[in-house]
Amino acid sequence: MGIGMSQKEMKRRKTSFGDKIFTVCNVLFMIAFVVITLYPVLNTLAISLNDGTDALRGGIYLFPRKFTMKNYITVLEKDNLVTGAYITVARTVVGTVFSLVTNAVLAYIVSRKRFLFKQQLSLFWVVTMYVNGGMIPTFLLFKGLHLTNSFWVYVIPGMISAFNMLVIRTYMNGIPDSLEESAQLDGAGYMTIFWKIISPLCKPVYATVALFVAVGQWNSWFDAMLYNRMSSEYTTLQYELMKLLSSVTNQGNSAEAMKNAAGTVTPTSVRAAATILTMLPIVCLYPFLQRYFVTGLTIGGVKE
Amino acid sequence: MASMAKRKQKIKEPKIEITWKEIKRQKVLLIWSAAIVLYGIIFYYLPLGGWIMAFQNYRPKDGLFHSQFVGLAKFQQLFSDATFLRVIRNTLSMGVINLVVTFVMAIVFAILLNEIKSNGGKKVVQTISYLPHFLSWIIVTGILHDALSGTGIVNELLLKFGILDQPLNFFAHPKYFWPIVAFANVWKETGWNAIIYLSAITAIDPSLYEAASMDGAGRWSKIRYVTLPGIKPTIIILLLMNVGNVLNAGFEIQYLLGNGLVQSVSQTIDIYVLKWGISQNDFAIGTAAGIFKSLVSIVLIVIANMIAKRSGEERLF
Amino acid sequence: MKAKKLAALLLTAAVAAGTLAGCGGDSTQADSNDVAGVEGTGGDSAGSNGEMKHFTAFFAVPGSEINDDNEIMLKIGELTGAICKETWLTGQTAQEAVGTLIAGGEYPDFIDGGDGAAQLYEAGALIPLDDYIDQYPNIKEYLTEEEWDKLRQDDGHIYWIQQFGNIYGEEKATTHNDEAFWIQTRVLEWAGYPEVHTMDQYFDLIESYQEANPTMEDGMENIPYTILCDDWRYFCLENAPQFLDGYPNDGSVIVDPDTLKVIDYNTTPTAKRYFQKLNEEYQKGIVDPESFTQTYDEYIAKLSTGRVLGMIDQWWDFAYNVNDALKQQGLDKQGCNYVPLPITIEEGIKNQWHNSGGVLNVSSGLAITTSCEDVEGALAFVDALLGQEVHDLRYWGIEGVDYEVDENGEFYKTEEMRMNASDTAYKASHMCSYSYFPNYSGTSRDNINAMSPQFQPKEFYDALSEDVQKCFEAYGAETYVDMLGTSEAPGAWYPMYSFSSNMTTATEGGMAWAKMDEIKHEYLPKVVMASDFESAWEEYMGVYEGCNPQAFLDEMQEELDRRMEAAEKYK
Repeated sequence: MGIGMSQKEMKRRKTSFGDKIFTVCNVLFMIAFVVITLYPVLNTLAISLNDGTDALRGGIYLFPRKFTMKNYITVLEKDNLVTGAYITVARTVVGTVFSLVTNAVLAYIVSRKRFLFKQQLSLFWVVTMYVNGGMIPTFLLFKGLHLTNSFWVYVIPGMISAFNMLVIRTYMNGIPDSLEESAQLDGAGYMTIFWKIISPLCKPVYATVALFVAVGQWNSWFDAMLYNRMSSEYTTLQYELMKLLSSVTNQGNSAEAMKNAAGTVTPTSVRAAATILTMLPIVCLYPFLQRYFVTGLTIGGVKE
Repeated sequence: MASMAKRKQKIKEPKIEITWKEIKRQKVLLIWSAAIVLYGIIFYYLPLGGWIMAFQNYRPKDGLFHSQFVGLAKFQQLFSDATFLRVIRNTLSMGVINLVVTFVMAIVFAILLNEIKSNGGKKVVQTISYLPHFLSWIIVTGILHDALSGTGIVNELLLKFGILDQPLNFFAHPKYFWPIVAFANVWKETGWNAIIYLSAITAIDPSLYEAASMDGAGRWSKIRYVTLPGIKPTIIILLLMNVGNVLNAGFEIQYLLGNGLVQSVSQTIDIYVLKWGISQNDFAIGTAAGIFKSLVSIVLIVIANMIAKRSGEERLF
Repeated sequence: MKAKKLAALLLTAAVAAGTLAGCGGDSTQADSNDVAGVEGTGGDSAGSNGEMKHFTAFFAVPGSEINDDNEIMLKIGELTGAICKETWLTGQTAQEAVGTLIAGGEYPDFIDGGDGAAQLYEAGALIPLDDYIDQYPNIKEYLTEEEWDKLRQDDGHIYWIQQFGNIYGEEKATTHNDEAFWIQTRVLEWAGYPEVHTMDQYFDLIESYQEANPTMEDGMENIPYTILCDDWRYFCLENAPQFLDGYPNDGSVIVDPDTLKVIDYNTTPTAKRYFQKLNEEYQKGIVDPESFTQTYDEYIAKLSTGRVLGMIDQWWDFAYNVNDALKQQGLDKQGCNYVPLPITIEEGIKNQWHNSGGVLNVSSGLAITTSCEDVEGALAFVDALLGQEVHDLRYWGIEGVDYEVDENGEFYKTEEMRMNASDTAYKASHMCSYSYFPNYSGTSRDNINAMSPQFQPKEFYDALSEDVQKCFEAYGAETYVDMLGTSEAPGAWYPMYSFSSNMTTATEGGMAWAKMDEIKHEYLPKVVMASDFESAWEEYMGVYEGCNPQAFLDEMQEELDRRMEAAEKYK
C-alpha cells in the first residue's frame, strides 16, 4: 500500500503542472461562460423591474433605471391566470408522468437484445421525428378523437417522443446485460426487470427526460390556443401570458391594432416580467432534479 | 479501457430467429410494442394523410377530400423558383453551421463542467448555463441587436482595441448573418443541450477514473480515454438525430434578425413557406415543402445510420 | 364545444325564466332611454338577469382580451341583453387561424377574418346579411346605399360590415393619424418657423439645424433623419413618392383622377428624385446609417430619446409610444415632439397627406357565421352597440367614473381618468369597447361631443404639449391636420389598397405584386446606401422590371374600372 501511494504521488507531481494550467483555464472559461449566459437573464430581470415607458429609451443593462413593480402587477392581474396556472401545473405533472413511463417502457423494449422487432420498432419511431402531417390534418384528427376542448389534448398526443425514447435507450444500452440475465435466471419477467433492475439504474436519464418533458409542458401554449381556444376552463398559464403579450404587442399592423395596444406598460417590459415569472418555478424546482445528473450517482459498484 | 472493448462487443447483435418459442418468451414485450405502435400510427402516421394536400390546389372550402388534384404542380412550382432554391441553400448552410457549433459546444461545456472540482461551483454554473433556454427568441435577438449596434458593446470594444476605425453595422452585411445566428444558438442552448451529456457522464464508472489515475493519466488523457468514450454512444445518437434536422434551421431567429439588406441569406424554408404559401392562402406549398424536408431528413439519417453501423457504433435503428 | 353548450344551457334557462316571469324584461328596456336599436329586437333581448345571450367572437388580428367580469361589458349586457366573449389572434397568421377554423367547420358567432376574410366567404362560412339589414335601423344607418353596395361580394350578397373609418356627422379632425414627413418642433423654432413645402427645403432645414446644433442639451448626438424599414413597416421608406406627387394614400398605385389610369409610383421621376435625395443625405451622414437594419423596437427607442430630428412615418406607428416617453423625460420642453409638414416634390403641388372623410376598407369586416344559432339576436346586438348610449359606454366609459359632463353637456376627463384609460389592467377589468364591432368616429348624436375621447377637441388640446401648441400658433394651425391642410377623398375608387391587400400569388398580377415587394425590400436600402446612385438605380430598375409589374398594374386598372363603373349609378 505504502509503495503504491508513493508511486501515485510521483505521477501526480509529474502531471500537476499541466493540471494546474488546465484548472485555471477551465475556471476562467466557466467564469466567462457564466457572465455571457447570465447577462441576458439579468438584463431581462432589470427590464421587468423598470418602468415601461422609460425602458423604451433603451440603455438598461443590469439594473433598472426607474424601478416599478407595475409590469409584474399587470401580468398577475391578468384574468384567468389562476385557472391557467392550475391547468399548467396539472398538465406538467400528468404529462411528465405519462410521458416518462411510456417512453421508458418503449426504450426498454427496443433496448432488449433479444427483442425480435428491435430494428423495425426503432425505425418506426425515428421516422416520426421527421414527418409532420401539418396543422390542419392534425387538427381534424384531434377533433375526430374528441381531444379538442379537453384537458387530454395536452397529455395524449405528444406522449411518446422518439427523441426522449432514444436518449433513454442509449442509456439503457450501457447497462450490462449480466444484470438482466441473472435476474432472468431468478425467474423475473420482463416487467419485473424493468421496474426492479433497470429503472433504478436509469435515474439520471429519467431525471433528464423528465426535465425535458416538464419544461416542454410548462412552456407550451400553442396547443391551448389551437385546440382549446373556446374552452377557457382548459386555458394554460402560458397561453394567458401569450394573449397578454400579443395584446400589448407592437406587432399589430393597423392603426386600429395600435390604438388597442397603446398603454403605459409596453410589450418589452411586460414580456420581461412574464418571462421571469415563468422561469421562477422551474428555477426553484431544478435543484431537486439536478442532483441526479450533476453530482452523479455512484452506480459504478453495481455495474460490473 | 477494458470496459470499452466490452461495449463494442455488446453492440454486436445476437441473431435471434422468429420462432414460436421466442414469441412466447417475449409475449409481454410484443403486446406492449403493439399498443405503442397503434398509438404511433394514430398520432404520427394518420395525419400524414394530409400530405395529399401537396398534390392538390387546396381550398379550405373544399377540404382535403374535394380539392382539385394538380399532381406534382406544387413541387414544380417550388423547384422552378430561384428563391426557393436560395432558401434551401440558406437553410442547409445555417443548419450545418448550427449543428456543428452547438453540438461541439455542448459536449465541450459538459466535459469541462465535469472537470470542476467543487460540487457547489458545478451546480451553480450548470444552473446559470441553462437559463437562457427560457428566454424567447425575441428577447435574445433584442439583446443581440443592442450588443451589435453601432453604439453597442461589441463595436465599442472593437474600436477601443483599434480593430476597427469606425463602427461596423453587422446586420447590413450578408457575410455576418450566419455566424451571428450560430452564435445566438450557442448562447441560448449550450447549457440546455449539455444536460444530456452531463447525465451520460454520471453513468461512467468512477473506478475507470481511478484506474486511469493509477496509470498516471493527466486530466487531458482522462477526458480523452475515459469521459469521451463513456459518452460516445450518447454523442453518436444525438449526432444522428441532428443530422436529420439540418433543414430545420429555424424560423423565428432569422425572421427577427433579418432585414431587407440580408434577406438573400437570411430567409429559410420556413420563412419562405409563410411568405409564399400561407400568406398567399396557399397551404399546399407549405405541405409540399414539408414533404421535401421530410424526405431529405430521412435520406440523411438512413445514410448516417448506415455509416454508424459500418463503423460499429451506436445507431438509431 | 363547451362554451356553446353553456350558452345553449343559459339560453334554455332564459327561455324558461321568461315564460315564468312573463315579459319581465320589458320594464328594464323602458327604463333605459335611447337604446336605439333595441326596439328592433323584441322582448327577447331585454336585460333582466338570467336572460343574457352569450355570443362568441374571433378577430383575426392581435387585440386585448378583456376579463370575463368586465364592468362595462356587463353594463352593456344589461342594456342590450347580450354579451360577447371576444378572442383574438395569438401566435398565428390570420390565414392559418381561419384555415383551421374552416377545416374544423365550427366557428364563433361573430368573426372578422382579417386577411383571411375572403377564405371564409369562399368556404360558405358566412351568413349573407343583406336581407336583415333593413330590419335594424342603426345598422342600416351605418353605411350609405353606395357603401353597402361596395361591400357586396361577387355573388351579390353582403357578408361583412366594415367597422372602421365611419364618420358620424361632422368630422372632428384633430390628429393626423396617417403618414407624413415629421419634424421636431425645436428645429422649426430654431429656424423661426419657416414655411417648408418641398423635400429639398425639408432636408436643407434639417441639415442647417444639425450643423448649428449637433447635440441635444445633455450632450447626446442628434440623429438628423432616420428611416424605419423593419419588415412590413418599410412603407416609411417606399411609398413617399405617391404623396410627393400630390396624390393620396391609395397604397399600391397612383390613380390619375382625370384619365382614371393607374400609375406605378415606384418608377416615376419623382421616385427617382426622392431616392436620390435620400442617397445624397445618406452620403452626407444625415440619414441614420442604421436605418435599414434597425428593428421597430430600436427605432422607437431612438425616437424616445428625442435624438431624431425627422422621419417619415404614420402617426399611429410611433406617437402612442413615443409621446409618452418624451413627456416623461421632460423632452417636450426641449421641443422634441413631432409635427407634420406639407411636403411635396416641388412648390405649388397640392398635397394630399391628409384626406378628410372616412375610408371604407371593403376587404374585411365583422361577419356572422353559419355556426351562429341566433342571427337575429346577433344582429340586434350589433344594432344596439351602435346606439348612442351604448356607443358612449364603449368609447367614453361610465359617466362619473371615466368622464365627467360639464354644464354645456360637454364630456371631459380628469387627469386620473386619463391615466386609468391607458392602464392595461384597468382596461381589462373595466373598459369594453368591442373595438372590432362597427363603430363611429366624428360627432356624437348629441351634436356636442366626439364619438370617442381622442377626437374631443378639448381633450385633444389639454393633452398637447407646450412646444406643439407654440408651433401650431406660429403656423396659424389649431390641429395637426391644419399643419397639412386637408382634401376630400379623390374619387369613388379610393382606396385601391383595399384591393391589392387581398391579392394572392394565384393571379399573375398578385405574383408580380409579391415579387415587387420582395425586390423593393432588398434594393431600396441598397439604392440609398450606394456610392454610385445612378448605376444602383439602374440595377434596381432592371430587377424591378423582371417582376413583371405591368401584370400587377393591369389588374389594378381592371379593378379601378370596375369600381368606377359600379359607382356610376350613384352619380
